[in-house]
Amino acid sequence: MMRCGYGLVALPGTDARLFSPEPSFLRLPRTVHPVRIKFGSFKIRAKIGEARKEVSFYDMLGISEKGTLPEIKQAYKQLARKYHPDVSPPDRVEEYTERFIRVQEAYETLSDPRRKALYDKDLALGLHLAFSARRRYQFDEDLEDQSEWRNRWQSQLSELKRRNMSRDAGGNMSWGARMRRQREELSKQV
Amino acid sequence: MALCACSFPAIVSCCAAASEPQKSTPFASHLLGGSDLGFHPLLKLNQVKKRSGGVYASLSEGAEYYSSRPPTPLLDTINYPIHMKNLSVKELKQLADELRSDVIFNVSKTGGHLGSSLGVVELTVALHYVFNAPRDKILWDVGHQSYPHKILTGRRDKMHTMRQTNGLAGFTKRAESEYDCFGTGHSSTTISAGLGMAVGRDLKGERNNVVAVIGDGAMTAGQAYEAMNNAGYLDSDMIVILNDNKQVSLPTANLDGPIPPVGALSSALSRLQSNRPLRELREVAKGVTKQIGGPMHELAAKVDEYARGMISGSGSTLFEELGLYYIGPVDGHNIDDLVSILKEVKTTKTTGPVLIHVVTEKGRGYPYAERADDKYHGVVKFDPATGKQFKGSSVTQSYTTYFAEALIAEAEADKNIVAIHAAMGGGTGLNLFLRRFPERCFDVGIAEQHAVTFAAGLACEGLKPFCAIYSSFMQRAYDQVVHDVDLQKLPVRFAMDRAGLVGADGPTHCGAFDVTFMACLPNMVVMAPSDEAELFHMVATAAAIDDRPSCFRYPRGNGIGVQLPPGNKGVPLEIGKGRVLIEGERVALLGYGSAVQSCLAAASLLESHGLKLTVVDARFCKPLDHSLIRELAKSHEVLITVEEGSIGGFGSHVAQFLALDGLLDGKVKWRPVVLPDRYIDHGSPADQLAEAGLTPSHIAATVFNVLGQKREALGIMSSRN
Repeated sequence: MMRCGYGLVALPGTDARLFSPEPSFLRLPRTVHPVRIKFGSFKIRAKIGEARKEVSFYDMLGISEKGTLPEIKQAYKQLARKYHPDVSPPDRVEEYTERFIRVQEAYETLSDPRRKALYDKDLALGLHLAFSARRRYQFDEDLEDQSEWRNRWQSQLSELKRRNMSRDAGGNMSWGARMRRQREELSKQV
Repeated sequence: MALCACSFPAIVSCCAAASEPQKSTPFASHLLGGSDLGFHPLLKLNQVKKRSGGVYASLSEGAEYYSSRPPTPLLDTINYPIHMKNLSVKELKQLADELRSDVIFNVSKTGGHLGSSLGVVELTVALHYVFNAPRDKILWDVGHQSYPHKILTGRRDKMHTMRQTNGLAGFTKRAESEYDCFGTGHSSTTISAGLGMAVGRDLKGERNNVVAVIGDGAMTAGQAYEAMNNAGYLDSDMIVILNDNKQVSLPTANLDGPIPPVGALSSALSRLQSNRPLRELREVAKGVTKQIGGPMHELAAKVDEYARGMISGSGSTLFEELGLYYIGPVDGHNIDDLVSILKEVKTTKTTGPVLIHVVTEKGRGYPYAERADDKYHGVVKFDPATGKQFKGSSVTQSYTTYFAEALIAEAEADKNIVAIHAAMGGGTGLNLFLRRFPERCFDVGIAEQHAVTFAAGLACEGLKPFCAIYSSFMQRAYDQVVHDVDLQKLPVRFAMDRAGLVGADGPTHCGAFDVTFMACLPNMVVMAPSDEAELFHMVATAAAIDDRPSCFRYPRGNGIGVQLPPGNKGVPLEIGKGRVLIEGERVALLGYGSAVQSCLAAASLLESHGLKLTVVDARFCKPLDHSLIRELAKSHEVLITVEEGSIGGFGSHVAQFLALDGLLDGKVKWRPVVLPDRYIDHGSPADQLAEAGLTPSHIAATVFNVLGQKREALGIMSSRN
């Protein structure tokens, strides 16, 4: 049986050298992709990209990495109130607005447990791609899912077509196969 | 541009502004004002933004959806699926959007099931585009997601009558349209029915397609596996679409938040969805195949299949083992994908049974539904712009709530009391019990049969299980009640909600037969409360009956307003004893359950005609209060038994006793008032009662008729409003 997880077992009659070594399949599912731009937000991302600082989300919010959700929320609320353009001093609107946006981004990522988990993992690996990669955690994952799903069902469909060729051949005596053969014969006679 | 990053409430103004050329002030001041409605991830914003093409009504400030119906130019041209055949995929997307808004606006006027319908809009459009209903059979499991289907199949102009008297049914119904090929309402039946239709087609030598759409919740029922097992064996061509939205129980939330899916199957399906296939592995396997080549075709095919089995994850092999070809997961909101897959499968000649795993989001496209914990599964009339439902206010609460409170009070006193339900935490009120006793409440998924035998097992260990299952769903578990509970005399308590007529849900959910099928069992104690205080007492009585099974039934609706026992703790009643409510003469009305209230109303109607009736609340159908019935038979001319149940129930048991006791040989006349021998269609509760002949006027007229006063009987009937 070949169903032994992700390892490969040599089939009788095949050359084991044909199988690539295991580790190459176990690379991290998420590699650094080029930033994918979503329409409608290009301008804002260009804006942020200009002033990219390598500050982690936690530093941004001023909390420790072990912060709980209420702490994160509180920190965010405080900073949002401080940096909101409406309440910021008129000469520093631009700067405060940018901070506001980044604080918001930090909160968005850290308040969603799924995205926080991903972010924490990347942070631990030293990959801090905070703002430009914000979209990554959301859209890229979805898009990646999408394209993987698409590939999967496309191959399933082609497999279905292939199977179709040999399905009702001589050996298959299922009820359905018998009825289909009968129907074919009847339609040929007509 | 900067506006798009804003995820504060009133996204709407962001969108509206974003479409205009750059504004100088990035933020409008009203954005921060008002209550903090919580965070809307950017994804939602883009979803709302995605609406390109087509004319849209404007969004009002503060609202997240249209307040008046947007124009639906494309949908207006579609009356039947055949009108869709010439559309391009782009137009299909527009059609889906218009269909979605149509569903929302229709349900906002009538109430009904919203979330599930919204989740399958794209799927419905794709199915009707690719397949040719009604020749191709499309079956909708449970049927509450069939609103888009009904709109596309000639019933759009009747959508305003949804779930109302003489209007459209809330589920698929064969008598309503030829496009509804199978009537549903209870879950998990479509694969079985679909297989039957496929086999019938094969026997007749025809060539149409059969598609059964079933949800992941309905997949927790055994019948789905029975059907798939048989389908795999027979190998007849059919398509099963598994609509997976990760919502397995109803409501999809309990009081404190969304319910995590119940059961091992859900996690298997999740693994399927999230499994990251090692595509490279497949490429290698392909490479292997090529290398082998030549005479090793079969072996190569096997390699392919094994590799695919590995890539698809362990979950799909479940369906594969049952004999269904698994395809998926597929994004259920992407019409492109759906159409291409369905077309491929349709054109493949000999597929055998195929299962397409489609992933959807319940409530999709309506921001309030997407965010709500219960995804707006079942709603009353609401305002589309704000999502606020117009829930009526009532002085009393529902019987469901009273039952839950009574059970909690009993469970506080007795730690052996546990509660079981079958994916109906909200409907049975056991979500309240769950919150109070999280370790003692069991949701088994849509598996009533298992629930009953599971309860029997618990009873064997000395626990006191309360099985809360709707009267109509109890039908699914009847053999387990007879064989596993009653035969062995295990003390399982059955709390049957929705007994009698149920209003808008119609005959599929009507609990007409429970008195009949419970009271004929030798060891069962059968009782019914006439008001909410009695319900509290009967819960206590059931908790006290520890040597045999017992059951009690109560209707849908609110209490009548009697005083509740202190501390919500009822007092156990004396078993087999009824109570006399009004002492009168000549005519006695012996009511069972909620019908007692109708009897009281009938008695007051007749008082003005100079008749003082005796009204009795029987309380117990089994064991009957023999001495009370004897007393009534001996001292009255007429004895009328009234119940909201079918023939063979309370009235029949009374008649049996009267006959055996020789009481029918005397002068008393016995008449039964029961539900008529036909199914009562959906409608308002008042309309249904009138249709069934169980209103107080009907009872009063019956009294007059028996007394020989036909004229007065006619008078009562014609003067009722």
